[in-house]
Amino acid sequence: MLFNSFQFIIFFSIVTSVYFLLPYQKRWILLLLSSCYFYMSFVPVYILILGCTIGVDYFSGIAIENAKTGQRKWFLLLSLVANIGVLSVFKYHNFINQNFTGILNCFHVSNPIPYLSILLPIGLSFHTFQAMSYTIEVYRGNQKAEKHFGIFALYVLFYPQLVAGPIERPQNLLHQFREKFEFDLDRIGEGLKMMLWGFVKKIVIADRLAIYVNTAFNHTGQHTGATFLLATIFFSFQIYCDFSAYSDIAIGTAKVMGFKLMVNFKRPYFAQTMAEFWKRWHISLSTWFKDYLYIPLGGNRLSATRLYMNLMVVFLLSGLWHGANWTYIIWGALNGAYLVIEMLTKKIHLPFLRIQLPQKLVRFFKILLVFVLSSFAWIFFRANTVSDAFDIIKKIASFKGPLFYENPSMLIYSFAGIFLLLLVEMKQEFYTGSFSFMHNKSWVVRNFSYAVLIIILLVMGVFDGGQFIYFQF
Amino acid sequence: MKPNQPSINKNESSQLKGFVLKTVLLIVIVFLLDFTIGTTLKYFYFKQESGFLYRTTYAIEKTKADVLIFGSSRASRQYNPNIFKDRIHLSCYNVGHDGNFILYQYAVLSAILKRYHPKLIVLDIARGDFAIRQNDYERLSALLPYYSGHSEIRPIVQLKSPYEKIKTLSFIYPYNSLLFSIAVGNAEFNKQKMKDIDGYVPIDKIWTGSMATADSLPNYPMDSIKINTYQSFINDCLSNNIKLVIICSPYLFKTTNADNTINLAKAMAVKNNIPFHDFSTDTSFVNKHQLFADSIHLNNGGANILSNKVIDKILPF
Repeated sequence: MLFNSFQFIIFFSIVTSVYFLLPYQKRWILLLLSSCYFYMSFVPVYILILGCTIGVDYFSGIAIENAKTGQRKWFLLLSLVANIGVLSVFKYHNFINQNFTGILNCFHVSNPIPYLSILLPIGLSFHTFQAMSYTIEVYRGNQKAEKHFGIFALYVLFYPQLVAGPIERPQNLLHQFREKFEFDLDRIGEGLKMMLWGFVKKIVIADRLAIYVNTAFNHTGQHTGATFLLATIFFSFQIYCDFSAYSDIAIGTAKVMGFKLMVNFKRPYFAQTMAEFWKRWHISLSTWFKDYLYIPLGGNRLSATRLYMNLMVVFLLSGLWHGANWTYIIWGALNGAYLVIEMLTKKIHLPFLRIQLPQKLVRFFKILLVFVLSSFAWIFFRANTVSDAFDIIKKIASFKGPLFYENPSMLIYSFAGIFLLLLVEMKQEFYTGSFSFMHNKSWVVRNFSYAVLIIILLVMGVFDGGQFIYFQF
Repeated sequence: MKPNQPSINKNESSQLKGFVLKTVLLIVIVFLLDFTIGTTLKYFYFKQESGFLYRTTYAIEKTKADVLIFGSSRASRQYNPNIFKDRIHLSCYNVGHDGNFILYQYAVLSAILKRYHPKLIVLDIARGDFAIRQNDYERLSALLPYYSGHSEIRPIVQLKSPYEKIKTLSFIYPYNSLLFSIAVGNAEFNKQKMKDIDGYVPIDKIWTGSMATADSLPNYPMDSIKINTYQSFINDCLSNNIKLVIICSPYLFKTTNADNTINLAKAMAVKNNIPFHDFSTDTSFVNKHQLFADSIHLNNGGANILSNKVIDKILPF
């Protein structure tokens, strides 16, 4: 069930209405059942895989808490092996096997390991990481083991963030399932506003840009440098709007019911450094890697060389987390390299660069540089193969040939969407205290602005758009 | 609080009333905007007198031509009605529509049959037309502006999704993503630019791309809804005594194997005693790049040759 579907609107309305009618102690049952239904609407049988890992993690959590100091790590290991094992089989088996076959072929040896013909369970990387964060936190003593199996299952299955995050931590989410959330009109209104803006970002902007991006990136041989340059810029906005829209709808949906999920995006394209970009982009994943990988590796407490190595390891794994393809690994490596270079060049002060420029201009160029660098990396993320990515880069560098467009409206709607996004986000970033439509004191202005957004959806939305990009991860 | 006490108390109940009231007001504002903008879009949509969108309106609501040509862009770009008029001495209109296949064509046929019965229909079938492609259903959006006024096309449009009935309650939805096209369609400068020849939109371009040796066609599963719709198209023509000729028009490249759709379409045509002419392997076209605009569309010169060849097969009529 996609968020941008009629089914979801009906599902959300029914679940939320029943939720507020139930005594708060019983609400977890409704949420668990509806979350199961939500997940089973994709591929029903995959709930069994999720059920197995939930079982292992539930018992591991209790076992870790009850075990003697020396034995605790074995139960943590059991949980990690179960979670990473499921990920490896479903997500990475064929990729590893394919590369293994390539290596064996160099020695004229055939690979006896068969390929698996299985579909990747939707959102597997998200709920696996969320489940792992639970056992790690119990092991660290930051979270008590959850004794209630239903509540724990709900922590992993909670439908708003089940398939594409934000990847929650047990300290933030678990206790909320026992809290009584009042029927708070202001909070519900805020949640619905977030959802509405999420729908606009997905249906009006991301899915519109996807038409051009898919046309270009899926037919690498047929398009020119100018087309790929525009498609790359469009993809930068598409992936941001697509993914942040999902987060907005997820956070909004949860907020309506009273739950507070962590913020996942903070206008990343206004970052002035790559380090800042990663503090604004997919925050729940960045902090997951920071807490459970970067810091245990030594973080920045060791030598500079070790720090750079740690960063590269984290970003290579982050790339691999996104998908079993070399394109994602290169994307991760590029972002890691950006951060390392940024750290190295921070200490270099060239005298000829000390030109006094207006602050706003400096900020603009910094933002532009971060956008260009991240967009360059997105080429690898979006390209179907590594060779496609290099072909695209070559074409952009040569910049030959005309710009492709099926009809002018294809570009007009795309630019209109980006303009709307920039308008809203510039206001949020730079003019926080100024006039607001959605948060205006007058309910007439507020209602009118919601109505206008709904009308924009109807006039410019792509109603046959596909699923969210991050579902595949 | 007692464990089983309902969660909504009096204070919350009054909040709920306020919420419902504000929601109702929002719905009223949305309805008013939707109605005003949707009605304006409708007015300007149907006010167009030329262009891509107008050709659909003309096909569904206006044409009374004796000969109609149905198909995708491989119809609208490849059959010249003037040649049909000159040689058959009957009026002719090309109702081909870019990117739309048998589902769209059957909906248009149903609308036309409500008004009158043409004498001859030429239906262009392309490779892969019966393949399972979600895109083909999404492209039925082209029929949404006619949804409210034409009950006969509704069952076809509803194949898009089970929620089309609800979506079309909106006045704007049928004109979704058409704002710019409607504005351009009403612009004076566009009226001359978008002229067509009775629905025929020639392409004055010669293929300069690479020449493949032979294309290999994939073996694909077929969509039973499309196959049944094709049969309905044949049945409607037969029951209304309309002469139907089915054509598979030329492709630039040779293929190493036959296409699933063409094989089935031909078998079904033969079973119903409908003439089926396959030009996809005709040596007058294959590898003749000067007759093609791209690998699947003839240019104007190629279209004129094809039109004459099709008429040769139809005559005497």
